[in-house]
Formats: sequence, C-alpha cells, structure tokens
Amino acid sequence: MNDSSRTERAVTVQARRTFLHSAGLSPAAMALASLQQQTSVAAAQGLPDQLARAKRVIFLTQSGGPSQLELYDHKPALKALAGTELPDSVRQGQRLTGMTAGKKQLVLPAVTQFRQHGDSGATVSEWLPHTAAVADELCFVKSMVTDQINHAPAMTKFLTGHQLPGRPSFGCWATWGLGSLNRNLPEYMVLLSRMKRGSDQPLYDRYWGSGFLPSRLQGVKLRSAAEPVLYLQDPAGMPRKLRRQMLNGLKDLNQQHLEQTLDPEIETRISQYEMAFRMQTSIPELADLSDEPESTFRLYGADSRRPGSYAANCILARRMAERGVRFIQLFHPDWDHHSRLRSWCVARCVDTDQASAALIKDLKQRGLLDDTLVIWGGEFGRSPAGQGDWRSAEAGRDHHPRCFTVWMAGGGVRPGMTWGATDDFSYNSVVDPVHVRDLHATALHLLGINHEQFTYRHQGLDFRLTGVEKANVVHGVLS
Amino acid sequence: MVSLPVISNLPLVAPKNPANPAGWAIRHITSIAQLLRDSLMAVLIFALFVSLSLIHQTGAAFGQSSTFSLDVLPVLSDRCFHCHGPDPENREADLRLDVAESSDGTRGAREVLQPGSPEESELWNRITSHDTDVVMPPPESGRQALTNAEIDTIRNWIEAGAEWGRHWSFEAPRRTQPPLPELHPIDSFIRDRLKRTELVPSPRAQHHTALRRLSLTLTGLSPTPEQLKEFLSDPSGEAWNAHIDRLLNSPQHAERMAVWWLDAARYSDSDGYQADATRQNWPWRDWVIEAFQENMPFDQFTIEQFAGDLLPEATAEQILATCFHRNHMTNGEGGRDPAESRVDYVIDRVNTMGTVWLGLTLGCAQCHSHKFDPISQKDYYALTAFFNSIDEDGRAGMNARPYLNYQSPAVQSQIDELQRFLMQLQEAEKQQRAAAESRFANFLSDLTQSAAAERAATWRIAEASATSSDGTEFNFEEQGILQTSGPTPFQDDYRVTLKPPADLSRVTGWKLEVFPNSNHVDGRYTRDGNGHFTLTNVRLLLQRSGSPTETEIELSSAVADTARGNQRSSNWDTRYAKIGDTLNDDTRNGWTTLGDPAAVTHTAVFTLEQPQQISADDRLVVVLRHRALHGNSCIARFRLSLTDERGETLTRTDGKSPQQELLATRTTPNAEITADLRKRLLDQFLADDLPWQQASARVRRAKAQLNELQNQAKPRSVMVLQQRDQLRDTFVLNRGVWNAHGEKVDSAVPAAILQRPVNNRLELAKWIVDRSNPLTARVIVNHLWQLMFGSGIVRTPDDFGLQGARPTHPQLLDWLAVELMESGWDLRHILKLIATSETFRQSSTATVLQQELDPENRLLSRSPRFRLPAWILRDNSLHVSGLLNPLVGGPPVKPWQPEGVWGEITMGRFRYEPTIGPGQYRRTVYAWWRRSIAPVFLFDSAQRRVCEVQIRRTNTPLQALTLLNSPFTGEAARALADLSVSATDLDTIDRLQQISLRVLSRELTATELPSLQQLLRESLAYYSNHPDKALRFISVGQQPATAKKAAETAAWMTAAMLMLNLDEAISSE
Repeated sequence: MNDSSRTERAVTVQARRTFLHSAGLSPAAMALASLQQQTSVAAAQGLPDQLARAKRVIFLTQSGGPSQLELYDHKPALKALAGTELPDSVRQGQRLTGMTAGKKQLVLPAVTQFRQHGDSGATVSEWLPHTAAVADELCFVKSMVTDQINHAPAMTKFLTGHQLPGRPSFGCWATWGLGSLNRNLPEYMVLLSRMKRGSDQPLYDRYWGSGFLPSRLQGVKLRSAAEPVLYLQDPAGMPRKLRRQMLNGLKDLNQQHLEQTLDPEIETRISQYEMAFRMQTSIPELADLSDEPESTFRLYGADSRRPGSYAANCILARRMAERGVRFIQLFHPDWDHHSRLRSWCVARCVDTDQASAALIKDLKQRGLLDDTLVIWGGEFGRSPAGQGDWRSAEAGRDHHPRCFTVWMAGGGVRPGMTWGATDDFSYNSVVDPVHVRDLHATALHLLGINHEQFTYRHQGLDFRLTGVEKANVVHGVLS
Repeated sequence: MVSLPVISNLPLVAPKNPANPAGWAIRHITSIAQLLRDSLMAVLIFALFVSLSLIHQTGAAFGQSSTFSLDVLPVLSDRCFHCHGPDPENREADLRLDVAESSDGTRGAREVLQPGSPEESELWNRITSHDTDVVMPPPESGRQALTNAEIDTIRNWIEAGAEWGRHWSFEAPRRTQPPLPELHPIDSFIRDRLKRTELVPSPRAQHHTALRRLSLTLTGLSPTPEQLKEFLSDPSGEAWNAHIDRLLNSPQHAERMAVWWLDAARYSDSDGYQADATRQNWPWRDWVIEAFQENMPFDQFTIEQFAGDLLPEATAEQILATCFHRNHMTNGEGGRDPAESRVDYVIDRVNTMGTVWLGLTLGCAQCHSHKFDPISQKDYYALTAFFNSIDEDGRAGMNARPYLNYQSPAVQSQIDELQRFLMQLQEAEKQQRAAAESRFANFLSDLTQSAAAERAATWRIAEASATSSDGTEFNFEEQGILQTSGPTPFQDDYRVTLKPPADLSRVTGWKLEVFPNSNHVDGRYTRDGNGHFTLTNVRLLLQRSGSPTETEIELSSAVADTARGNQRSSNWDTRYAKIGDTLNDDTRNGWTTLGDPAAVTHTAVFTLEQPQQISADDRLVVVLRHRALHGNSCIARFRLSLTDERGETLTRTDGKSPQQELLATRTTPNAEITADLRKRLLDQFLADDLPWQQASARVRRAKAQLNELQNQAKPRSVMVLQQRDQLRDTFVLNRGVWNAHGEKVDSAVPAAILQRPVNNRLELAKWIVDRSNPLTARVIVNHLWQLMFGSGIVRTPDDFGLQGARPTHPQLLDWLAVELMESGWDLRHILKLIATSETFRQSSTATVLQQELDPENRLLSRSPRFRLPAWILRDNSLHVSGLLNPLVGGPPVKPWQPEGVWGEITMGRFRYEPTIGPGQYRRTVYAWWRRSIAPVFLFDSAQRRVCEVQIRRTNTPLQALTLLNSPFTGEAARALADLSVSATDLDTIDRLQQISLRVLSRELTATELPSLQQLLRESLAYYSNHPDKALRFISVGQQPATAKKAAETAAWMTAAMLMLNLDEAISSE
C-alpha cells in the first residue's frame, strides 16, 4: 500500500475489523456493512471541516474557450477602436499562440448585441436569451485568469489545478473528501455531449481522472450509447434471473474462500459485485428519460429529447442531483472559435443556452439549487484582437488566458451579482481578479472544505487541488 | 488506552497527512475497545502491543547512525525541511536542518543542537514548547506537531550525542552477513526480522497454489493442467527449480517483464495531447521483449537505452533501444510553440530517469530546489543538459525527428496467419454468395408474380408538420409540400415531424426536395437574401410511440443532384458546397446550390447507417439547420419522403429504382428482364441480404487489416536519440518556465548521489549503473521484489528520498542490491533467488494473529494475496480457455473494446476497429495504446502519459462489471463450455473439475460443487426453454455458433463465467 493512502488504510483497518466482528453474520449483512465503510471515508477525513453550503456540484464545462466578448463581457468602447492595434500598454508582452504570433493584433469588437437583464442588470448577449432570463440567479465572475494558452494544458489546469497531466481532477478531490451520498450510483459522474463533427479538442479521460488518488474515485462517464456505462449490460441472451443466480453462486464460493483465507479484500469484492448488480438497474433507470413529463422537455428545449445532447445531459444532471450523485460534470465541446463567430459560436449557444438556464430553474423549483453549486465555464477566454481579417465575417478570435467569464449559481453563491471586471479591451482582469486556483478554493469552501488543509500525501509531498501558490477564497461572491 | 504504542506506530511509513490528523487512529482505538469485549481476541491484546512496537523499530538494524537515518531524519524532513531544508528560496531564519554544518553562510543543525543535552538544544525546546509563538512547526504552517513517540526519538538521539548521518539511500549499499546463515539468504533476513515479533513464518503453500503463483508471477499465465499434474507428481526441490527455469526461459516471461518496463517507459502507440497522432515505435517494444528474452544484463540494458547511438559502431538495434527516451508525449496542437514542447520533452526524460533508475522525485527540482532531498535546481538543470542536444525540434506526428528507419522481421508471421484466416473467410463468403443468389431467385419470382399495382412507390411521401427555432412558419400544401411564411430570421432551425405511411415497416433513406417558387426572391428557393439557400446540418430522429425522447438515427452518406465547386457569384464562404457536409455538427460548411443557372427543383438523398424498423405510431423527426455565416438563406419550399429500399435507390436522386423498372416490365406486354436489370436487381438484393453482407464485411475487414500489416512490414520510422553536431546551451529555467533562462549550466550529475566527472549521455548511463551509485541497484531490486511479492521492500518504488517510505527490510534490500550488481546485473538471477526462497513459497492464508499484527503483510510472515493486474486477467482468461495466440512481437493489435470508445473522446476523429482473426487473441502487451484513451478493459493500470511505477490496486463495482460482461470473459467462458460439452465421456462433476483445474489450478471441494451444480441446472432449464436466447448467448466474439447443443453450451458458459469471476481466479495467492 502506498504510504499516502491514509484514508484507504482507514477503510482497510475498518474492513478487517468488520470481518472479525461479523463472522457468523449473513453474507448480505456483511456486504452492507462493508459498503457503509466505503461511504465512511469522508468521516475518516473529518470532512466537511467547516460549514458546508453546497452538498454537490454540477460543473457545466464548455470546452474550447467560449468568447467572453461575444457572451458576457460587454465592451461597447471597442466599436470605436475597431481595426486599431491593441496598445502595448494593454498587451504587456503577453504571449500568443503560434496561430497569431507575429501578426498585428487588431481590435475586433463584439459581433453581438448586449442588453441588461433582470433586477441585477447583468449584461448578457442576444445569443443567450434564456441565460439572460435567469441572470438574477447567477453570479458572473468576469475577472477569471489562467496561465495557460493552449487547450490541453489550460483545461488540465482548469480541472485539476495543474497544467501537467497526472493530478486528480476537481471532482475526484471533492468526492474523496466528502464521500458518497448514495449506495446505488457512483459519486462522480461525467456526461459528454454527443457531437458529430471531429472536434479539435479531445475530452481526455484524464479530465475526470483520479491521478494519484485511489482510482475508484475517477469519474464514471455516462455514455449516450445503448450501454450507458461500459460493460454495464449483461451479455446478450443472459436474463437478469440467471445473472442473479450466478452472483448467488459466486457469493457462496467467495464466502467459503474468505473463511479460509481471512482476506478482507474478498469481503469487499463480494460487496462490489453486489453494487455492480444494483448499478445495472439504477443506471439505466437514471439514464432513461421516458418517465419525465412533457413539461420537462418544454423547459429544457426540443433538443433535450435527443439522448446525448447537452440539453438531455442537463436533465440527467438534475436526475443525478436528485439521486445523490456528489459531483456531476458535463462537457460541451467545440467552443474554439478561431473564425466565423456568427455561425460557429452561435451554434454552440443554441446547443446550450436554453438547457443551462432550464437546469437553474428546475433545480430551484425542486428546492435543490440551495445546496447545489452550479459552475459554467471553459478553460480560458478569447482575445479582443481579431484572428483573420477583422473586417471579414470570417474573423474569429485566438485563445486568451488573461481574462474570461464563468458564472456560478446556487450552493451558497450570491445570486444576481457580477464579480470583478476587465479593462476596456476585455484583455486584462483589472478588478478583483480570480485565478483558477481561487475558483477551486472558493468551490471547496462552499463544500465545507478548507483548501489549505485538504491535502494528499504522494511521493512524499502533500498535494492539494489549489497547488503551491497562494489561493484565496473569493468571499465577495458568497451569500 | 490512549497512549498505547500501537496507535502511532502501526505504519512503517512517512508521517501522517495533516488533512487527517489521527482520523483513522481514533477509529482504531474504538476498534480495540471492541476487541476487548471479544473474549476470543482478548488473549491477543498483549502480544499485539508488544509486537507492533517491535515492528516499528527498524532503525536498530542499521546500528547507531542508521537510527538517525531511519528514525530522526524522516521526522526532521517531514516537519522541518519545508522551511529549513535544501531549498534556499523557502528557507527561514537562515537555518537549515538537512545538514549538520552548513557551508553556504547559513546555520546548520549543529548550531541548534547541544549533543547529550536536549534541554540546552534550541531544537528540542522549540519542538516541545507550549508557546504557540515559539513551538515548531508553527501551528499556522498546517504541519502536524511532533507526536510523543517522535519527540522521544529526538530526545534519545540528542542524549546519545546527536550523531549525524546521511539519508540511508544515499549511502552505498553494503552487504551484511545473512543473520541466520543456515537458511536461504532471503529467508534468513525475513525470519530474523520476524523473530522480534510474535509472528512466525507460514507453512508452505499447497503445491498447486505454489505453482500457480510462480507461473502467474513470472509469466502472467497460470499453469496448464498438464504442468500442474507433472508438478504434483513430483513436487521435489529439483522439480520446483526446473519449473522456475522453464518459466524464466519462456517468451511469456519476457512479455511479462516487458509490461513492467513499458509502463515505466510510458510507451504508447500515439503521441498524446490534442492531435494524438499515431507513431511507429512498436519495434522498440519488441526490442524490450527480446532484451528480456536474452536476459540482457541490466547495466547493458540501461546503457543501450540511454546512449545506444553513442556506442562505437552502434548497431541498428542499439540505436533502436534509445527510443526509451522518446516515449514521452509529443504535442502537435496548432498554436503550440515547438521550442516549448522540446523543453518539455527534455524535462520528461530527466524525470523519468529519476523515477525509474534513481527512485527520486527529481521533478520537484524543476521549479525550485528540492525541499527534502539534496537536489538543487541547478543540479536538476545540469541533468537536463545531457538530453538538451538531441537533434529534435519539438514537433509531433510524423515530424518528430530524429528517426531510425527500421524494418521489423516480426511482421511476416502475422501476415501469414492473417492470410490463412482470410482464405477461410473468402470460402465462407463464397458459400454465402451462393445461398444469397438462391434467395434472390425466390425474391425475383415473388416480385414478378405479384401485381404491379400492389407494389407501392419507391419514395413515399409522409404526412408532415413543422416548427422552427427562430420564427419561420409553415403551411402544409398538397403532395406533402411545406411552404414557409411569416418572419424571415437571419438563421433558423426547422424541425419537421413525419408520420410514416402505415404500410412502411422500415426506413432505409430519406429524400429532401427543394422547390423554387415564383414568389421567392428571384423565383428561387428563399424568401429573403439572394434567393439561394444554404443548409448547414441535418439530423434524423426517431420518436417511438409513447416515448417523449427522440433517438438519433445515424446517417452514413448523402448524395445530391448538384455539388458546387469553388466558383461563386457571391461572397459566400466556399466551404458551403457539398451535401456530405450537412452530416456533421459543423456550421462552417454545408450544402448550397448557389451558382446553378436554372431555378429547378434540387434533390438530396440521405442513407441511414442501418435500416430502421418503424411502426405506424412512431414519428420521425428531421432537423434542418440553417446556420450559415452569411444568413438569410433558409429553404422556403420543400418536401420530405421516405423509402425502404437499399442499394442503388439511395445513390440516385432522380427517384428511380431497379424494382420500379422491373414492375414496369410487368405492365408492358412481352417485356423482358434484361441482363443489366437483373444484375442491378441482384446488387440491390445483396445490399439487403444480412448473412452475405456480414460475410463480405468480414472479408473486407480482413483485407484492410492485411493491407495495414503489409504496410507495417515496410521500414518504420522509430523515434530515437541522435546528438546534434552543435550542442545547445543549457540554462536553469526560472520557476521551471521554458524560456525564462537563468544561470547557464554544464552537464553534471548530482554530487549528493555520486560525484564523478560525467560529460555525455553515455557516461551518464555508465554513472547510473556504476557500482558505487547508491540508488540504482536498490531501486531495481525493489522493482523485482514488487513483481514477485506485489509490493516493494520500499513501498514507494518511485521515491527513495527522504519523504519516501522506509524499507521494511533494509539489510535485505542492500544484500539483494549488491547481489544484483555482483551477478553482473542479472535480473533473472534475482528473480530465481526470490522464487527459490521459502518466503516466496509460503501459504498466503492469514491467521487471525497475522491479520491483526501485520494487516499489510510488511514482514512477510505469509505470502501476499492480491488481485492480479487487469492485463493478466485478460491474458489468463484467454490462456485457460485455450484461445491465447502465442505469437511474439510485431505491430499492435486491437482487442475488443465497446463500440464508440475512441469516437466519444475524440468527437469521431478516431474509430476503433477490433482486430479480426487470430490476432484478436494475442497478449495485452501488444494491445494498441492510445494515450487519449487507454484500453478501457484495463483498470488500475499505468496511464502511460508520464512515467509511473507505483502499483495501484483498487476494488470497485466497475471492475466487477468489466470482468462479468467483457467479451474476454464471454469468449473464454464459451471456449471452456465447448470443452465441457464435447467431453461426453465425463459426468457433470468431472467436467466442472476440468474447468476448475484450468481456472483455479485445483479441483473443487465437496462444499463448492453444489452452487455450481445448481447454477448449471437452473441455466439449462432456462436455455432449454429459450433456444433463441441460448443461441444469442453463445454467439460471442468470433466464435461461430450453431443451434445444436446451444442450451447445453449456454448452461456451461454460465458456470465457466462464475469460475472466471471467482476472487481466487483473479488473485495471486
């Protein structure tokens, strides 16, 4: 055993203990006891260690870098500067990607119109009418900052706190700390929008990987295929009844072997096979939307009828929240709009706008929004300079790490507010910047976890999600 | 109770996680209280306390100075070095406690110590102070205060003179005399250590268990029933040794060792990162297998991989070996600066070298001097200098020079094998063709005999209604035509709901007709803009009767009556042209007829990937998206129709079909069916004939894979090391940022490990395997120990530094390290040495006492029992069922993975097509490894992105699902069932024993048989009543199934599946 897996040891010690004390109990009772230890990892951690405002997270990950300039960060003054070069005083030697390095950085004003919405007066683009309608529930953080300029490192940073692969994802940290709320479903589930074009940014499984944390924590991807979880379905031609009978036999023989070897792992194995059996029912039941009323589909939009769509995944997110899944992460790809904002960026807005807003409304009407933290955002923002000829409709924007917008809702976040601001160019976060690590610290804080105390020993070092540099909880966004 | 030594001393490892201050310990106390209530256990309590405190005292083994190394230094490291350690950036109060005397002007540990007198030592006063302003570590640091036991250790050490030493792993290993000379040296150390506890060695494992363990450990495969029988008939020491030799000399052993090395080497068949392009480095994997097969001495193995290119008169194979240091990920992302990537690769090599050979977390020193180990940031970058002048430029894909052009001899046997298989498939295809043609004759006669009027039109107009997302309105006119009206939005998506004609039982394609209209702009297709339309995307969805959801139906192709080239009369993006571009989700391309001179009806036909069965109450939904960049180009008048014909009908846009032509011959007197029409009808028939389609698809797949293999037989470009003529300057990189150059450095090795003048990569490799290098031999024997016992003597194989775990048997580790070097770095010698020990042959059955005193089995009073790695589970399932293909080497193969696993991650950019034929059953070491998604049937495996050597072993429901439901289990169970069914001379129990001997290497006991017999009865009853289900169940993987004996086969499959899933079957015990 790794010297670092302290909690795992807690479980082992406990499992061994249970073994000694449950000899003579029925297999079912033993399996149940073992399962309860699985969920007591959080207790062994002593977490949450402070007042928790959120019990769960729904992370609406928009992969590719949505344009803050087209969606949220209204910069009307740029109109007058269209086609002029970005001043050096603004750029301050910021590095560019290989796609625009060496080219003149000429201002491209937003190609959308903005209006203020709700009592909070939030500025939201015409491309997001539904999001605009729930603006009073949202907290816009317009001063996000990251330090990575290419997709894979930036997304890795956004989701794991470090740009190099190999660290546990945010979802794994959260579930490692807080444990499971249910006994039929994994704690951390991942949903990918099903897209037909070959997106340039693969959604690597390391984005929901457990890194050096125990691999049982890694996110379980719910697929839109006939088999929602890999290997979930019994082989064709095997009825449930026979599977049950086979597991009964398996349990009996494993039980006999446990009594001979005294290896507590066998006891865990028995309970994991039983959990697998339950998941074979609970996951299809979760994934099947046919018991939802018509009103649900009207709320989330026509595309929500299509399994695998972002909108259908938003309904699934709500169903997972209801069933006690701790960390729910959606990925919508293809926000990397280097060109053709009016067709390309629009299409991604159409995919996501109504459903994201519907999820907020739905959670609220079911009383779930109070203890669910919803986060919307991508790995970085986009540059105010046009990529390609800024005058052409075909112009787009290159990656930009120095400012971008995310929004949060529910789970102890103050609704109807905007935090932080960028300069007149939407180039630098100048008021109350929020680094990615600050976002992580804040989210952990809302889950009742002090990010500085929340560490894992690996290779002799105490790692934490927020990394070695100072991270701050953004108290201004808390309700 | 609370001060019991057991609480703080249980782990023999580095200190606690501050996030969990004593969380589990509290739990443990509760448990002990429970224990006391248990009369059976109470007698053990005393022994428990005594023994566990003894287990902790490893330091004594090293004598006085090692008490410092093993007991004191770890405490200082964990609590003090973060602020008072080697890293000058973080150093507080100019005090460093990692050295006794400091040479850099700061204060060393001596200045805060008064040997012999704790009370006069500032260090002592600080760690024991009750004043929160004074006590160390400071409470706000988040570091845990010292425990009473640790404070006692420090006190004893100061009282004894505060003698200083070095961290144990930085001192060269010294061989000590095995303490019990009459025993095998390994047993000597292990049993000597046990003597200080209440534990005693376990008896030998039963013979079948021992052989199974040996075989799985050394080859990843369990013994065959014949090997088992042979050993059981002669379990003598000589026989045991002979089995060890047989296994060590087998190619399967070389493959098993290769998996160890490939994981450490982060070997992959693709680059990783965004593009994740395919690479051709598999000949290096074969080099590794070959090296293990030859038992290449580990020093040579190291030197060739580090610097084969620098050896005098280097052979191609020696250059090939250097691919080790090119197995890192390469980044071909569009905006990525290759110069930055190149620096990443150099750094990856140093970190990998640190992990694999030195057992050091060198990577920590990339951004700052190491906080715990004596590696400065300058030391780190001096190491990068050895790898900084490779003739590379940071590019990826097939531009990742330098390459070795290498032609592998290992491909031909695979080509031969597949060619033989292809011939079988072609024979089957021929038979299916004949059968299909006879079915066609019947079909033709049915069709010609039925009245023409009974045959409906090829294209059927469906009743339609429509809505839009952005405001367009629709009128339903006669003949199924939809005419838009109302607003004319910039862009719009239409959703058209179709009610299929009552007699249409399936759909194979749909047709879109776009009509001009006199009241449209210019009399053409739209109500605004320039009169031309642009369709960006289409979807087809099926809504089953009563279900609110709409399942997407995949479309495989589309044709249109016109395709525009690049000529344009407007400024529209020329990407809007071809109909095929409507099948993606990309709005930047699509279909337009802009530029066609005449305003005529335009037609597009879309083909479904698979025919879709429908009923009259189902609804089809067609989504037409108009999201063109230029806008104002939404179709204004159109019609949708459906067909159930396949083949030619779906490739033409004029609405005609061979079947309609045939019917025309019936209504025309004396008309003949021409040969041409007959052939077209046959083609159309075959397009719809499933058995023939499947047979010919298999032939096509085999041919394509054969073609690919023939390509692989040509010279491949293997990424290797090659030095530039002009060496690059190397700099310290401030905070690890690739272009933030600090001080210029020359290549050099860390003096703290072993000081030597080392000038190039070749000398670096020699330094690594220098007899005086304190780390390499220890680290490598620890790897071998981990291979044999599931865990190392040092349980952090990647960290022998100050924060790593302390060795459970320090003297044994050193003894073995010296033995490895003195044997000429003979890995096989060490493996054999371990395998011949009594320690290895012990039973793994735990006693209650063993479970209590040493739950993690650190002292090896019993053999470990652990779940086998996932790759062994796959290989061994194939092996025990007789399916395993023993071919060695060659290009990677693709074992079964669920449909779509690559596509989901890469948005359809990569598609996984499993290998057809015998290649399917090759070992997992040959499985195609894509870095963005590793084979999904593996769990707890190294991810092969960066170097990983720590074994992970978890126990999850997803693993249970994989083992229950993956095709490996299914195919193995089927093959085992076939064996049982064909063993007609055996009774049920004998047949169960036959499977058990293969799967568990033993016979089932009388208490185990009833569950299996009952399952057999229940499943036989079920499948006898459900022959269709039986046939479906036994049709798994590539194994042909026939209805004959299907129920019996299916019943035996369930029993075999159960056995393959037994904890015993998936464990080494």
